[in-house]
Amino acid sequence: MIENTLAMLLNMPGMMLIIGALAVPLLPSSIRHGYMLAVIAVSVWSVWQMSPDQTMTATLAGIDLILVRAEAITKPFALVFHIAAALNVIYAMHENAKITATAGLAYAGAAIAALFAGDFLTLFIYWELTTFASVFLVLAGNTPRATRAAMRYLLMQVASGVILLAGAIMLWRAGAGFAITALDATTPAGFCILLAFGIKAGFPLLGGWLQDAYPEASPTGSVMLSAFTTKLAIYMLVICFAGFKPLIYIGLAMAIISLFAALLENNLRRVLAIALVNQLGIMVVGIGIGTELALNGVAAHAFASVLYKGLLFMSIGAVFMRTGTDQASALGGLARHMPWTAGFSLIGALSIASMPLFSGFATKALTIGAVAKQGELLVWLGLLFASVGVVLHTALKIPYATFFAPNPKITADEAPLNMRVAMALAAGLCLVIGLYPGALYALLPYEVTYKVWDSGHVLGELQLLAFVALAFTLMVRRGIYPLHADRTIIYTDWLTRRAMPLMVMALGTPMMKIWNSVKERFIQLMLRAIRTSEEASRATGLASGVASTGAAAGIFLAVFALILLIRVFM
Amino acid sequence: MSKKTETMLTGRRIMRALLSLCALLLAAEAIIHRHAYFALEATPLFFALFGILATCLVVAISFALGKLMARAPDYYGGDDD
Repeated sequence: MIENTLAMLLNMPGMMLIIGALAVPLLPSSIRHGYMLAVIAVSVWSVWQMSPDQTMTATLAGIDLILVRAEAITKPFALVFHIAAALNVIYAMHENAKITATAGLAYAGAAIAALFAGDFLTLFIYWELTTFASVFLVLAGNTPRATRAAMRYLLMQVASGVILLAGAIMLWRAGAGFAITALDATTPAGFCILLAFGIKAGFPLLGGWLQDAYPEASPTGSVMLSAFTTKLAIYMLVICFAGFKPLIYIGLAMAIISLFAALLENNLRRVLAIALVNQLGIMVVGIGIGTELALNGVAAHAFASVLYKGLLFMSIGAVFMRTGTDQASALGGLARHMPWTAGFSLIGALSIASMPLFSGFATKALTIGAVAKQGELLVWLGLLFASVGVVLHTALKIPYATFFAPNPKITADEAPLNMRVAMALAAGLCLVIGLYPGALYALLPYEVTYKVWDSGHVLGELQLLAFVALAFTLMVRRGIYPLHADRTIIYTDWLTRRAMPLMVMALGTPMMKIWNSVKERFIQLMLRAIRTSEEASRATGLASGVASTGAAAGIFLAVFALILLIRVFM
Repeated sequence: MSKKTETMLTGRRIMRALLSLCALLLAAEAIIHRHAYFALEATPLFFALFGILATCLVVAISFALGKLMARAPDYYGGDDD
């Protein structure tokens, strides 16, 4: 029986990682990482072997649960989540950190399991598991700031979970059951579920937790965080809300508004977190368009962005580890000291810039092409504008500020071997996707007929990039470009870091006053009751003749209760 | 990376290299036809002009917003929050 249950559990995608994570803290550090890689390898193999129509159902208290089911779009997400999990293990190999290793593996497992969830209750459980596993990665930053950021992170993530559950229950009450299918976002249930996904996907004003928490995690923690939560939300938006037109404008707002904050921001890991929202925005636009080409674009872009975003977080994490800072104003000149890291970072930068021959070009082109095919000129111009922004605040600024800007005083050692290996693998994958996009296209939910190597398209992209680089270089040389400034940029995380505490104080102070006066009155009432009951028992001598103190106390209490009742009700 | 490469990246040569690359890419437009979905996109030099204008716009808006959004480094309380 137990064996059967265990076999069933291990058959559920992702569960192998979640259960496997339990053993991680017990293992000696010498075999821990090898064990984790082996678990991930077995897991990805079993997911790869799954037949597309394989499902697993269960009944709990009369509710039918779909524990496992796969859609055409599940495979690329599941594969890239496994790759990210393995890269994270390699990247963190130099650490002897049991808690982050355990949390990281469980987090990846929960995210993978969530991809296969067929009903909202199952999804809710994994949704919360990703939250609770990942908060340890923020806490691993191990500073008072990180602890506070982790609490705010937890608050937003749990809010998303609670809203998801509320939406699911509303859906069930409306007679639609718990199954995860395409939803109408204009119904209350659909809206709640959209909101829950939106918090995790970094919708405008809801995504402040991203740039609040990710930069506070440990260097390895922020790499792990960058892959899963947001892409899981994107995947769920595809399943439930593909073709919901307002998403086009929500996505466009995400892609454009984030530009300016990312450009001004001095903390480079925060720049990457804000730039992540920009990438998610492009995916959300694709979901709103909802055509086959657009959804292929979303899946491909999510796949590629997990890799190049992870690579960029890895390179800045290595710099942070070696220099103790991730502030642009304190860095520069590291190309001499960390040439490997600089080179890998450049590959990540060229990928996110969608330079031809690098991964971003082959994937973002699908979404932008889908927008063009729909004839949405303004949206297309908006995405083009957002692409220019990415080049400016990530592809050019991050490598320049970290590795190439003049800074003769800086010294640092090259990143440890395991970090370099992880970066090399991620960079290699970025190049493979860039050079042979067909390999990735074969995984996509729909057939790809888009010609990515169209010479006119390549030329247009090269012209755009070259002229943006030219303008950037001119501005940096003239000192116009806002590069070095040690400052705090107020962005949507202000809502949870400042506005919410202020609101709590504003509401809390009068409430505390009311509570204090109620408490004071209650204490007075109690004191008076005690005094009266004491006097009453002394005056009548009611308890004086009683043998045991227990009985005396009983009588005392009875009188006390009686007087209390009389005082309250009369 | 050698000192020489570094000065090359920050020095005048990078400007010259970029300028000639841009010129080359513009010249290529005479040979390679860019298929376009929109009439606007088909305009000659569209991507080059868009790149420069968008960069100026992004930096200009950032400057304006920077005045509103920038606070002291320890606005949220510095290292101890």
